[in-house]
Amino acid sequence: MPHVLFYFFSFLTVATAVGVVVNKNAVNAALCLLLSLVGVAGLFALLDAYLLAALLVLVYAGAVVALFLFIVMLLDTQGGTRKPFKRLTAVASTVGLALLVTGLATLVSRTQFATVAVPTAAGQAPVGAVLKHYAEMLFTTYLLPVQVVGFLLLIAMLGVIVLSRKHAVPEETK
Amino acid sequence: MSTASLQLIEAAGRNQWLAIAPELMLALIALMLLALELILPKEQRAFIPGIAIVSQVAVLIGLIINFNSPYINAGPTFNGLLLHTAGGQFLRAFFLLASILVCVLATVSLPRQRMPHVEFYHIILVVTAGMMLLAQANHFVMLFVALETVTVGLYILVSYYRDNPLTLEAGLKYLIMGALSSGILLFGITLLYGAAGASPDADGVLHTGFEYQTLTRFLASHPNNFLASAGIVLVLSGVAFKIGAFPFQIWVPDVYQGAPTPVTAFLAVSSKAVGFAVLIPLCLEVFRPYASLVVPVLSVMAGATILFGNLAALTQNNVKRLIALSGVAHAGYLLLGVIAAFQEPQAVGAVYFYLFAYLLASFAVFGVMTQLGGADDTKQELDQYAELARERPFLGAVLAIGLGSLAGIPPLAGFMGKLLIFVSAFKAGLYPLLLIAITGVVISIYYYFGWIKAAFFPAWRLPSAEGAPAPAPRAPVHRGLGLALGLLALGSVVLGFYQGELGRWLLGL
Repeated sequence: MPHVLFYFFSFLTVATAVGVVVNKNAVNAALCLLLSLVGVAGLFALLDAYLLAALLVLVYAGAVVALFLFIVMLLDTQGGTRKPFKRLTAVASTVGLALLVTGLATLVSRTQFATVAVPTAAGQAPVGAVLKHYAEMLFTTYLLPVQVVGFLLLIAMLGVIVLSRKHAVPEETK
Repeated sequence: MSTASLQLIEAAGRNQWLAIAPELMLALIALMLLALELILPKEQRAFIPGIAIVSQVAVLIGLIINFNSPYINAGPTFNGLLLHTAGGQFLRAFFLLASILVCVLATVSLPRQRMPHVEFYHIILVVTAGMMLLAQANHFVMLFVALETVTVGLYILVSYYRDNPLTLEAGLKYLIMGALSSGILLFGITLLYGAAGASPDADGVLHTGFEYQTLTRFLASHPNNFLASAGIVLVLSGVAFKIGAFPFQIWVPDVYQGAPTPVTAFLAVSSKAVGFAVLIPLCLEVFRPYASLVVPVLSVMAGATILFGNLAALTQNNVKRLIALSGVAHAGYLLLGVIAAFQEPQAVGAVYFYLFAYLLASFAVFGVMTQLGGADDTKQELDQYAELARERPFLGAVLAIGLGSLAGIPPLAGFMGKLLIFVSAFKAGLYPLLLIAITGVVISIYYYFGWIKAAFFPAWRLPSAEGAPAPAPRAPVHRGLGLALGLLALGSVVLGFYQGELGRWLLGL
């Protein structure tokens, strides 16, 4: 059963991700992104990372993609015209694809999957699985990065305000 | 109480906040600046930049007085997130000094713009605190969070003068390339984490591949793990974006040209040093068991970076693009030092010395560029420097000393930096790379002296018609900037003749 679900969610993720890139209509692309994120969330759930799955649906699928859709509809973008493929683009894409396939093939053939350690210790639930354990880690071991992220969000917010608001009257002219 | 909650209390107790007092103070000063803008009456807000500079100088003095703090070499703090070393302490002072100088440049450049001032200083301070944490990171979570703080701050700063279309272009390019590089770095970290897995030690504390020491132990015991090799290459690529090393240098000229000049200085000096602050502990300690992979990757990168940077800089007419591409070459020399450090531990000190000499020389040049940038910060062509030495001899002298030091002309600090790195590379037996580096230095003298020539020797021009307006006289130098520029030039000269305690200490690291 988990195998079937794994293939289902993997296929959903990859197919809709291709849809994001291929779609000319921005609204359709954003909706494909939504489905792709749901697929990733399903994969996380299969890995017992329920918290991560829930956060992904809430934050990315719920908030971020909704914001994308909002902006796309606000700007009312029309699907642009596709540029015809130049020969150079085609060659570059082929080389890129060949590199990607080589890389993936090497990764699959040379990774000793047997030696890949399972990142959970016996008798201990993974960090992302239990909400209480996760919260405890955030407030003890990882307190410093949490504080730093607080400052990151502060400067990001300030940046949005500074870069988007209308100019004030220049101070030197007064 | 259960053992679980006892463990938690113990973990919380290991958060020794005193160890990062300078970073905490910077964060508090940054918040204070915002609060001051709210409460001060309008006519007194002009003091805020001064407050930012003076309080940073106070933090820097405090840091230097407490240089040998009890936390150094006393094991990791914050549950293994941070590790305090003498080199990290040097880099903290380095980032603080660079931040002060960026603020001084901003006091000249910002009043010419119609953008809010205080937020600029606030972001500089927060980014600097993030850089100082990065210099002490001992854990990939800490590394990534601090690096993102730095990068997000720089996204905003690069596009700060948004009235200029070039600035907007630079901001967009930096955002996209920065996000891509963060993605590559994160992918590499994830692969390493997945390869190393997690194992509890005797006390039941879980150790994961995020911790540098755990990862080193894993790499040492699994010498041919393919997943870990892929992770290492991706992490190195992500860091190479930050330092602008060869295959990842594509964003450098456009972003440096479009960014406001003080931010360009910040990118050129601090952001590059951040890359090396991350690269040195990663390469020399964590990835050391995989030296047979890391050294060839870095060597190819260093050779290509030196050649590309110097050759591309030859044809530039815009001084910001010129300094951007020559900065790429400097990253190559520094990479050479990192490679040499695999065999010659002294080379780490040489890299730090080079960074310090680079800071002094770069800020001298950027100070002159800021002063001459004009009202909209766009006058950055070589032609703008005509007659500079005759009209403003002080600026001309500072420019000549700064450029001479960057080029590595003997009595100046930049020469000593290059000499120390090249000697280490020679001792380490890196002869082909050394040959490339010396060729690069010779090429660089051509374009640096082209710039000096533009400022010092009159160029022949078409005799102007009677009615043509004479170019407007250059504005006098602001007193604070003049003082800073004088000190920087003096530092470059003195450090070239006499390295004294600093050199001895760095090479003894």
